[in-house]
Amino acid sequence: MMMLECDAKRLLASVGAAVPAGAVWRKGEPAASVKVAAYPVAVKAQVRSGGRGKQGGVVKVANATELAAAGKKLFATEFGGELPEVLLVEAWLAIEREAYLSVAVDGRAEGYVVLYSPVGGIDIEEGVPPARYPVGASWNFRVHELRAVLEKVEPDYQWREKVIALAQRLVRTAAARDCTTIEINPLVKLADGAMVAADAKIARDEWAHFRSEEIAAERDAEKARADEYLRACLDMQHMYVKLDGDIGIISGGAGMTMAAMDMVAEQGGRPACFLDCSPGPTSTRGYRPAFAMLDADPTVKVIFVSVFGGGTQMQRVANSMKEVMAERKSKKPVVYRLDGTNIDQVPGIFAQFGAHNHASLEEAAAAAVKLAGAPA
Amino acid sequence: MSILLDKTNRVIVQGVTGQMGQFFVEDARKYGTNMVAGVSPGRAGTTVGDVPVFASVRAAVDATRADTAMVFVPPAAVLGAVLEALECGCKLVVATADEMPVSDAIEVRAAARANGAVFVGPNTPGLISPGKAKMGFMPSFCYTQGNVGVISRSGSLSYEGSKRITTAGIGQSTVIGIGGDPVKGTTAAEALELFHHDPDTHAVLYLGEIGGSEETFVADYASRKGAKPVAALIVGQTAPPGKKMGHAAALIGSRAEGHAAKQKMLRDAGVFVADGLRQVVAATQAALASRKQTATVA
Repeated sequence: MMMLECDAKRLLASVGAAVPAGAVWRKGEPAASVKVAAYPVAVKAQVRSGGRGKQGGVVKVANATELAAAGKKLFATEFGGELPEVLLVEAWLAIEREAYLSVAVDGRAEGYVVLYSPVGGIDIEEGVPPARYPVGASWNFRVHELRAVLEKVEPDYQWREKVIALAQRLVRTAAARDCTTIEINPLVKLADGAMVAADAKIARDEWAHFRSEEIAAERDAEKARADEYLRACLDMQHMYVKLDGDIGIISGGAGMTMAAMDMVAEQGGRPACFLDCSPGPTSTRGYRPAFAMLDADPTVKVIFVSVFGGGTQMQRVANSMKEVMAERKSKKPVVYRLDGTNIDQVPGIFAQFGAHNHASLEEAAAAAVKLAGAPA
Repeated sequence: MSILLDKTNRVIVQGVTGQMGQFFVEDARKYGTNMVAGVSPGRAGTTVGDVPVFASVRAAVDATRADTAMVFVPPAAVLGAVLEALECGCKLVVATADEMPVSDAIEVRAAARANGAVFVGPNTPGLISPGKAKMGFMPSFCYTQGNVGVISRSGSLSYEGSKRITTAGIGQSTVIGIGGDPVKGTTAAEALELFHHDPDTHAVLYLGEIGGSEETFVADYASRKGAKPVAALIVGQTAPPGKKMGHAAALIGSRAEGHAAKQKMLRDAGVFVADGLRQVVAATQAALASRKQTATVA
């Protein structure tokens, strides 16, 4: 889960990485309450999505009047669909050069990888691929190994040594604080030679919530931002991504949920969501909020239940469907495709409430597409 | 033959007294898995089914010469349980848990390597060598013994894919779920290497997803001289970029991790790529047929 820049920078500062002097401005606080040591300052919208700079989310401000105006505008502007709750007001930096440094979890590295580019401040995918140091487990980080990698791309040895020292700290921090990505872009050199993290993105591992107060709080905040329907689903550990179609998919397992989405598209329809209910209890308690959310969503015309279970036993899923259908008020059609452990018990249970279980994913997807009708 | 698992593995279950543990003991024994012991601290001297329960892996291994461990404990306890099994000499350890912190997975992977053992997981249904043994909770009727090795990043997709080829008369040597997390105990590269050296595996079916870089391993293998033919399906054609699709690694973070780029990379490497689930059987048949042709030429 992505942290806000101001929280990421607080974490960086706590492990000895230099960040610009700044103040946090919360929505509703008067501009006069923001402590500014000297102008000019940068006013930065705090949102989790990328591309903020290109959307005008960072404003240079020369005096208190401009600060108030910038705050008014930024608090009222959505960035990537997100309205900022917080602005970060930072000293404007006299930048001599910009570089790129990140530490991330990487499967090929069997752990962490350090990425560095002598040119920063841009979308890292657009430029020359960064230099790569596969670290593996955090305790395998070696200063001399990273130095050998950086010597090929970074001629300034004094700067290079600072990068190495910072990278070492970041790898340890990633492991100790359950960060899956720490990206500093740009990592800037000021006129006096100082190294400062001008921007920072940190993603935390949500599954470490049981040992991190910060991550647990971030998960709670994420739930609090959701509407009541989605919150009930998140409470059941369901995973949800909204898409732009009209066939709501209730599935189990990430791969199978995506396969159902793809099959709907192949049959000429459009999936309305990715909704994987397998991590939560696959019982009536688990499926009830999933149906409630899709029933309440006006873009969803048909609900397509696609579950292929191993540990999830199909007679239990079928009985849950029976219970949910008995209490459900919505008339939206539901199409079923269940398969897996104890599938032979499903027809008998479905017969009790007049449901039909399709024999294959393609047949069920085609039926859902037909019920959804022509695209509006 | 098969990879990693057959009737000779002597299996213990950690967390045997939990719901999953009990279900697994009954289901896997029925299938033929050689279940020798359970482990559950505080429950020594009891039994699950008629499998004896010990308080520690050490006690279980000493009493039963177990060499393989199945781990059914909550996510926060997986790291400790797997390290215990590895350090007691288990050569294959499988943990199905999802929600395992990635820094724990990194530590487990390093420990498995240091102990000369194989870890499969996390976030996996496990593995099955059809007709011999299974470690995990995959539905048994989806599988039949044969010559295709199956590697999958997703559990339920591996049931679906396996059932399709089984129904078409294509059996499997071993089906291994490598899991949906970014750092895996067993990578696609390692699973491919194991299948490469298994004489009874004639072709490999790889079931992948958008996001991450696992598929580069598959392309690397397929373009190697003397490689066994590979068929593949990548799901997530309709997934938007920048959103995590359930699995931690199923996130299109860059263009290379998108559906089209992965399909092209695999095709360029000579992989028989299925455009969707409906083409999985045809792609697998094509892979098997290409081996026969190569064999005839040779």
